[in-house]
Amino acid sequence: MKTISKDILKKAASKLLFDMTEAQYTLLEDEFGTLLSQMDLIGKIPDIDSVAPMTFPFDTGTAFMRDDIPETPSPVTDILRNAGHVEDDQIKLPKVVG
Amino acid sequence: MSYLDLTIKEIHEALVAKKVTPLELVKQALERAKANTDNAFEIILDQEALAHASALVEPEIDNLLWGIPYVAKDNFSTKDIPTTGGSNILNGYVPLFDATVINLLKQKNAILIGKTTLDELAMGGTGKSGHKGKTFNPYDKTKQRMIGGSSSGSAAAVSAGIVPFSLGSDTGDSVRKPASYAGLVGVKPTWGRISRYGLFPFAPSLDHVGFFTRSAYDAAIVLASLAQSDPNDATCSQTAPENYMQSIGQSLAGKRIAIIEEIVKSKHRPEVIKAFDALVEQLKNDGAIVTIVKFRRDLLEAIFPIYITISCAEATSNAANLDGIKFGPPTWGATYEDAMRQARTAGFSELIKRRFVIGSYALLRENQDVLFLRAQKGRRLIVEQLNNIYQDHDLILAPSAPSIAPKFEDKTDQLSDEYLIADNHLVLGNFGGFPGITLPLGMLNDMPFGIHVMGRPFEEGLVLAAAQSIEKHTGLRNIIAPGEVNS
Repeated sequence: MKTISKDILKKAASKLLFDMTEAQYTLLEDEFGTLLSQMDLIGKIPDIDSVAPMTFPFDTGTAFMRDDIPETPSPVTDILRNAGHVEDDQIKLPKVVG
Repeated sequence: MSYLDLTIKEIHEALVAKKVTPLELVKQALERAKANTDNAFEIILDQEALAHASALVEPEIDNLLWGIPYVAKDNFSTKDIPTTGGSNILNGYVPLFDATVINLLKQKNAILIGKTTLDELAMGGTGKSGHKGKTFNPYDKTKQRMIGGSSSGSAAAVSAGIVPFSLGSDTGDSVRKPASYAGLVGVKPTWGRISRYGLFPFAPSLDHVGFFTRSAYDAAIVLASLAQSDPNDATCSQTAPENYMQSIGQSLAGKRIAIIEEIVKSKHRPEVIKAFDALVEQLKNDGAIVTIVKFRRDLLEAIFPIYITISCAEATSNAANLDGIKFGPPTWGATYEDAMRQARTAGFSELIKRRFVIGSYALLRENQDVLFLRAQKGRRLIVEQLNNIYQDHDLILAPSAPSIAPKFEDKTDQLSDEYLIADNHLVLGNFGGFPGITLPLGMLNDMPFGIHVMGRPFEEGLVLAAAQSIEKHTGLRNIIAPGEVNS
């Protein structure tokens, strides 16, 4: 397991596409001390690797395809109303190529 | 006395008898909402609620939610009504569609009068991390005690007598813990029992739609209105719901109730344990067969780290669409990533960023096996042990929290028995998708504390019946925080 350092935390934050202040990283590094002690409790469970990971409580058992029901799509103006930058009925982004 | 101080069932009877109209109810609910000082509301829907109420003229005798005002946590999509999830990154976002539960309540002509405050993106348990600041507990006029979270405002609105029911969501204990702190009935049904379509996801393997009422019978009314399959949510069960109005009346005689010794013996206030023990004796007198059972302590101590690892890891993926491009306050940058980084840096609070980093750390390639996957394995071991208990028992009973609502500045040792077990065991219901209800057990220093009853998947009827039996013994039914809006 990766040991905790500010660099590791900065790497994790960078992957999540946000920045934090140095003070926030310091606080987070301190918090990880407790958190890793708590996480150690999981590793101490003797038979922890004897079972498969549980990803959902149980299978909800949907075993059929629902009928196709035609729907009227929302107007473009409605769909775009939450976007900050719109041009020609499309969401505008910073230029990527060229 | 106001009709708003009554239960849903009693208000319905008054509506049917035309002693009060939906418009009169809504006007008073809006007045109370505006007068409330607990910071319960993201938005109060004056015009929409008054228009809806004005259109309701002839009462529907068989529809117990007809004309009943309610509020919804601000992480349910509401068409043409701003929905922020308590986060600045969604300021100004106006959904194009209603969540299924909002739609079902609209069809019932229940009247939405406001959207309520929450911990940011439902990722907290204190009611102090939302972008509108702290939500206060209506029972504490000094504003020092929390109501808990993340469904803070929805709990406050029902507890303060503004509305008789409200919608919340429960990923760890986000309905049931605030219910415990606010003297309410808080329901988290079976995972898949109520559609989550239109609920902002936090951790989908743990997320549930839940709700607050002030009586067990009202909880049956609301559950009966919301429990059904939904073609828009593939995780919503096809299992037909029970007749909750009928099954709530069943006797507990002969029912087998388990009490997990390690939970009850973890650190609680003595007054809580005294009230709990007294109630257990009363349930035995009703004919319930109560057994003390053992649970592996190492698994109980791992509840919180398993929860925080799984929930934060799932949350990092679910929040990836919050990019400030498609919705949220507009940003711009040299590149798409730069624009997104600016939006997320400005839009997320410090606390939520820290939670995301925890999730990202658990998902790092070198950590996945020892953190994330092991947390999922621990979850399975816990659920297997719970299922073993349910082979011989119908219900599991426990105090819902170590004490009354804590003060905002209270510090707890996060490696203590009190924190790891007594304060976090409600998460067991989310791990296994078991239905659970918290309801008032007693009062201490004029603050409520609660009890939690949990059943087998899709057996909400028995859980409701137990809640109603408990309610009869405690006498704590339909209690409202004394205060400025309802005195």
